[in-house]
Amino acid sequence: MKGLIQGLGVTLKALTSKKVTYRYPDVPLTMPDRFRGIQYLDPDKCIVCNQCARICPTDCITLTGKPNPDPEAKGKVVDTFDLNFETCILCDLCTEVCPTEAIVMTNQFELAAYSRDDLFKDRKWLSENTSLIRQDNNGAFMLPKGGGKKDA
Amino acid sequence: MNELIQQTFTWQNGLIFLGWGIVFLFIVLGFVTYAIYFERKVIGWMQYRHGPTRLGPFGMFQTIADIFKLLIKEDTIPKKADRALFILAPVIAYVPAFAVLATIPYTSTLGFADLNVGLLYYAALSSISTIGIVLAGWASNNKYSLLGGMRSAAQMISYEIPLVLSVVGIIMMNGSLSLRTIVEGQGSNFWEWNLFPQIVGFMVFVIAAVSELNRTPFDLPEAESELVAGYHVEYSGFRFAFFMLAEYVYVFAISALTTVLFLGGWHPPLAALDVIPGLLWFVLKFSFCVFFLFWLRATLPRIRVDQLMSLGWKVLLPIALANIFVTAVCLEIFSK
Amino acid sequence: MIRTEELLLNVGPQHPSTHGVFRIIVKLDGEVITDATPVMGYLHRGTEKLAENLNYTQIIPYTDRMDYVSAMTNNYVLVHAVEKLMDIEVPERAEFLRLIVMELQRVASHLVWWGTYLLDIGAMSPFLYAFRDREIIVDLFNELCGARLTYNYMRVGGVKWDAPSGWIDKVRDFIPHMRKRLDEYDRLVSGNEIFLARIKGVGQYDQETAINYGLSGANLRSTGVDWDLRRAEPYSLYPRFEFDVPLGSKGDCYDRYVIRIQEIKESLRILEQAVAQFPSSGETMGKVPRVIRPPEGEIYARIESPRGEIGCYIISKGKAEPYRLKFRRPSFVNLQILPKLLIGETMTNLITILGGVDIVVGEVDC
Repeated sequence: MKGLIQGLGVTLKALTSKKVTYRYPDVPLTMPDRFRGIQYLDPDKCIVCNQCARICPTDCITLTGKPNPDPEAKGKVVDTFDLNFETCILCDLCTEVCPTEAIVMTNQFELAAYSRDDLFKDRKWLSENTSLIRQDNNGAFMLPKGGGKKDA
Repeated sequence: MNELIQQTFTWQNGLIFLGWGIVFLFIVLGFVTYAIYFERKVIGWMQYRHGPTRLGPFGMFQTIADIFKLLIKEDTIPKKADRALFILAPVIAYVPAFAVLATIPYTSTLGFADLNVGLLYYAALSSISTIGIVLAGWASNNKYSLLGGMRSAAQMISYEIPLVLSVVGIIMMNGSLSLRTIVEGQGSNFWEWNLFPQIVGFMVFVIAAVSELNRTPFDLPEAESELVAGYHVEYSGFRFAFFMLAEYVYVFAISALTTVLFLGGWHPPLAALDVIPGLLWFVLKFSFCVFFLFWLRATLPRIRVDQLMSLGWKVLLPIALANIFVTAVCLEIFSK
Repeated sequence: MIRTEELLLNVGPQHPSTHGVFRIIVKLDGEVITDATPVMGYLHRGTEKLAENLNYTQIIPYTDRMDYVSAMTNNYVLVHAVEKLMDIEVPERAEFLRLIVMELQRVASHLVWWGTYLLDIGAMSPFLYAFRDREIIVDLFNELCGARLTYNYMRVGGVKWDAPSGWIDKVRDFIPHMRKRLDEYDRLVSGNEIFLARIKGVGQYDQETAINYGLSGANLRSTGVDWDLRRAEPYSLYPRFEFDVPLGSKGDCYDRYVIRIQEIKESLRILEQAVAQFPSSGETMGKVPRVIRPPEGEIYARIESPRGEIGCYIISKGKAEPYRLKFRRPSFVNLQILPKLLIGETMTNLITILGGVDIVVGEVDC
């Protein structure tokens, strides 16, 4: 009997104590800066190195490049950049390997859609996804002074 | 109301009875609606949540919306179910639940039938609901619901006996089975209630009553973590609502019965507080009983079938019998 | 003549208490189980086969998804195996961070177990109490690595993120808070007579059976076998810390319950020491080649996950991808004893025993 009564005491005490419910849909949740939400792409920074497509464990990124329209500049610029968000697992590896931080995470986590087609994110969508872009992107993989990545 | 019932039965009187019945039905439905709301709120608060908040002020219309949802749901009957019994079962479960309410006196004047076998009537009718549950379990043609129905039958038989025996002490003290006489036999001070002379009987009654209600910690027939939903696993829509309704009407009935039998009915806890109307006292005590049930549900785990059986037969039944014996001896010694 | 017949009942794959898509076919005589056949594989995703075409960094997010209640320890077992194979030294600060997150994860995992177990037994409040406190840990992880469930935090040679400023202090504040909560849990549940009657003496087995079935974790320790890899085969920084390994004696569900609650307390003890000794500065990434290409060879690394011994066996042919990768998943191995325990028990005890084994179906099916 003692244990039962003690238990009843705990629940009775909880009756009047402060509640922990988030007021989520009414008050938006703020995620910490490192939160991994859907990516933002800065097409100007992208050098079409294909590292993100190669590191992606679920092969959800495909990108193509074209020669730089400015004849004096070297390298390529990104032409199409498609992210199949149906299979993206938000593992953060694409932003980790990106040498120019062209693709970075945002704090957007409200990603539900009515149609699977809506989950196909192209270059236009990704470059317009500018809200809540993550500031600190590479953590321990930060570029050391003098350039060049430590790891891939 | 008593005079009304004593009159000879005519068409006119019959219609008045019917009218009162319908009024009372709506009161009970209102109670059920807000008991469910209150239960969700209380359990929510006990779990550091708010409970329903979104529909109406403080979520007051949540249950109404839930009932509406059940009403407009598709009514499904499994192909291999026993159709007639499947349809009949919720009705059998519900009708006795409502019928037992007729005999409960709320104040010295408010009440329906003052039967001289009121308590017996209650015990007899409330056992019929079990048939509804067993039928539902059988007719669904589902293994989980069959197990739930069988458990329910076993539980019902085991706990009906201590429930009735635990109140025999009160019947002996009052010399009557009429609930009105039992309340009148209790005084206007809390120490004059049946609760104290019959404290052992009260404890047995509470345990057996919770078990009769199939509520935590005795909710084995519908144990959702084992039997998914027990006997009503195949029911949907309004048929399911009927089972829910029956369950909550029994909450009403048992709480009212506890108030009447042990907590002095409409009597105030102190004679000095007599100015406050009796109905209010009744409602307060009644609400406490309802709250207690919800409180148990928020706290306790479920008991096991074999433990339930041994608790009923090996603990509660002997205690209830001993209580009757001791009451009889005391009555014999002190009343002479 | 009354004809009796056994009832064949499919418990699962959609059943509230099989903790996911797990199925047991039981034969019932009344409510007594006469035969039980677990059926698994509903959540099989082929992690091990997928891993053969992925490089080692890419496998890490897949390990998150095996035992999703305890992703940090899964991360660790993979990177630990690769580090052992390549002889990589991990900086001290990174190792401290790994240890802190693993112990936090153990607390979180046991909280999930505690809540869901009580839900199986029929009490619903503990579930919400446990998740309220787990929320604090999950928020800490969210701040540290940006995810709440699938962290993808560890890397071969270190960790992805250094602790943000103030994070260690939050962990430090969490420890006394959690201790207070554990007292509350004890008052709410541990003394409850109904609960004790439900779990005492249920699902009992002896030491020999436990060892023969290859059980590990609390399932093994409940029989009194002192086998905790953190102490029996130390890895990471565990030798530096003082902690006890709680042991049972009877090998029933009650002992397993007590052990897990005690393990939360021991984890808090380790955390307390780790937070106190946490180096104020240092690298979080060791010297790792650009492409992780372990030398040819085989390695088996094992650690103590909240569910038992989780192991990772790698055969490397000197390529960036493993030739073969095998995870020894404790849930899967612990589950093997289930049919033996269930025969002769009632339907109610099925749920009690299955809950007491503590499985995560993602890990069983892998």
